[in-house]
Amino acid sequence: MSQKDVEILKRALERERASRKAAEKILEEKSAELFEVNKQLEATNAELTVLYNKTSSQLQGVFENIVDAYVIMDLWGNILKMNEAAVTLLGFENIHDEGNLTALVDPTEVEKVEPAFKQLFESGSITDFKIKIRTKQNKAKLVHINASIVYEDGKPVAAQGIVRDITLESEYQRAIETEREKYRRIIANMNLGLVEVNNDDVIQMVNQSFVEMSGYDEDELIGNKGGELLIADKSSDVIKQENQKRLEGQSNSYELVVKNKTGDIRYWLISGAPNYDLKGNVIGSIGIHLDITEFKNLQFQKEKLLEKLERSNEELQEYAHIVSHDLKSPLRSIDALVQWIKEDNKGEFDDATTQNFELIETTLEKMEQLISDVLEYSSITADLKDRSSIDLNALVEDLKQILFVPEHISINILNKLPTIEGDKTKLQQLFQNLISNAIKFNDKENGLIEIDVEEQKSYYQFSIKDNGVGIEKKHHEKIFKIFHALNKSKESTGIGLSIVKKIVDLYKGEIWLSSTPNEGTTFFFTIKK
Amino acid sequence: MKNLNILLIEDDMIEVMKLSRAKKSLQLEHNIIEANNGEEALQILEDKSNLPDIILLDLNMPKINGIEFLKILKADDQLRYIPTIVLTTSSNQRDLLECYKIGIAGYVLKPLKYEDYVSKIEKLLSYWSVNELISV
Repeated sequence: MSQKDVEILKRALERERASRKAAEKILEEKSAELFEVNKQLEATNAELTVLYNKTSSQLQGVFENIVDAYVIMDLWGNILKMNEAAVTLLGFENIHDEGNLTALVDPTEVEKVEPAFKQLFESGSITDFKIKIRTKQNKAKLVHINASIVYEDGKPVAAQGIVRDITLESEYQRAIETEREKYRRIIANMNLGLVEVNNDDVIQMVNQSFVEMSGYDEDELIGNKGGELLIADKSSDVIKQENQKRLEGQSNSYELVVKNKTGDIRYWLISGAPNYDLKGNVIGSIGIHLDITEFKNLQFQKEKLLEKLERSNEELQEYAHIVSHDLKSPLRSIDALVQWIKEDNKGEFDDATTQNFELIETTLEKMEQLISDVLEYSSITADLKDRSSIDLNALVEDLKQILFVPEHISINILNKLPTIEGDKTKLQQLFQNLISNAIKFNDKENGLIEIDVEEQKSYYQFSIKDNGVGIEKKHHEKIFKIFHALNKSKESTGIGLSIVKKIVDLYKGEIWLSSTPNEGTTFFFTIKK
Repeated sequence: MKNLNILLIEDDMIEVMKLSRAKKSLQLEHNIIEANNGEEALQILEDKSNLPDIILLDLNMPKINGIEFLKILKADDQLRYIPTIVLTTSSNQRDLLECYKIGIAGYVLKPLKYEDYVSKIEKLLSYWSVNELISV
């Protein structure tokens, strides 16, 4: 190798060494630079990681604690993630369960799924989407969904949504609707007229029945004052008074005489109640109207009939008195004439004639007694007007004075008699007839009459017991019938016990007897308290 | 005892006879004026110079009945002072009340037996014959 060659090689080596040195330097510089950048990157990364963790845990918190069901699914509806609320709503067991949302759709609403997905993909979100589902437990639910697409690098990768259970809400809604419909139908179809008026009595609403009742069209009614249009007596201020009551919050019923469009007078029974707004202010009233004209007419008819009955009862009473007077007068005259004949012919009649005259007198007396008894019987009417408190002890004591009680007969009251509400005359007749019968038909040496009472829940049971002749069983029924005297004697007309029965009937009681012939009789009767 | 001027208003002939006969058998010297009904009685009462001391009045009469007669009597300034005793068969409480309301001096029920009648009339007449009466 020549020097020249060596020189060339030497220089080349020299250059190479220099450039390597330069390159090494550059490398060194670059390396330092890189280290610096790397350090910066590391710091940023750490910051980002913290930030990411923070946000992520925040989101996780929201995700877990949100009340609504939150679900993330892939584009085919497979659940990627869901919270506890979603587990509960959809009927899963835990948040790690797998499932496809489209599989949960109620079979009847499957056709709603595709358009919804389409909308979601095209617009990136869907709101107010309602659909019926069947949960994992096969429970029907109505849910409300708001969902949006999740993008990665501008590409849709998943969708997230909030699912809300609106089953109950919709049931309430439906229940309210049903109720509303029910009442609407009642109002429309009921036979009662319904009117809503404001505080000035101006009609706001009427139903069909009211239109028919009043004879006016709906247009003629609404906007007009109900009272002015319909009330028969224009001077009456019933409506005003009633409206005042509504303002005070009172509800009540009242009767009103109205004149309908054709001019007929009708009677209405109105039940009115105040109508409130949402704040609780009275804004008018609602009235239910029932046409009671027919009922009213019947009532008037009844009143008239009662009046007539009362009058004819009175007339009958008068008639009984007049008849009794007219029947008694001739008897009196006969008696006077007989006496005169006897006086004028003193000592001239034989015994038989004198006896016959006596028989005439006895017959007259009996006849008069009969007339008196019939009058008494017919005077016992249902008229219980003269009621007062009657002490029966005092009444019986009085009777002992009035009645002729022979020496050998004693009358005892065993238990204290009550004080009852009644008509004194009738109660006196009742006890008098029974006691005097007990006296009359007593054949014992020591006659004993016992009056007693037993208090029952709703009535008093009285008894009048004697030790007299007794009454055979076969007569027990008919002795209470008028003119059924068992003993055709001077004193008995056969009316006494029928008077007793009539009075007991009046007091809504019963009368019966138990008796053993020759031993005595006990009459029982009840009087309602 | 003084003798009375008695106006008997009675439509029943035998009742009229009964009073006369009772008076006679009781040996009383009262003067009995008879009227068969209310109208007749009012005619008699027109003679103010000869008014009766007392009036015995039956209630059940044709034309003007006893109560109507009583009302007319009590409405008259002069006649209202004549004591009027009702003599009737009616024990109707309503009649009794009505009579006392209008104004009567007594209410006597006609008994069935003639002897009871005589006894009642005796008491009635002896009572009124010891009374002081006014004439307006």
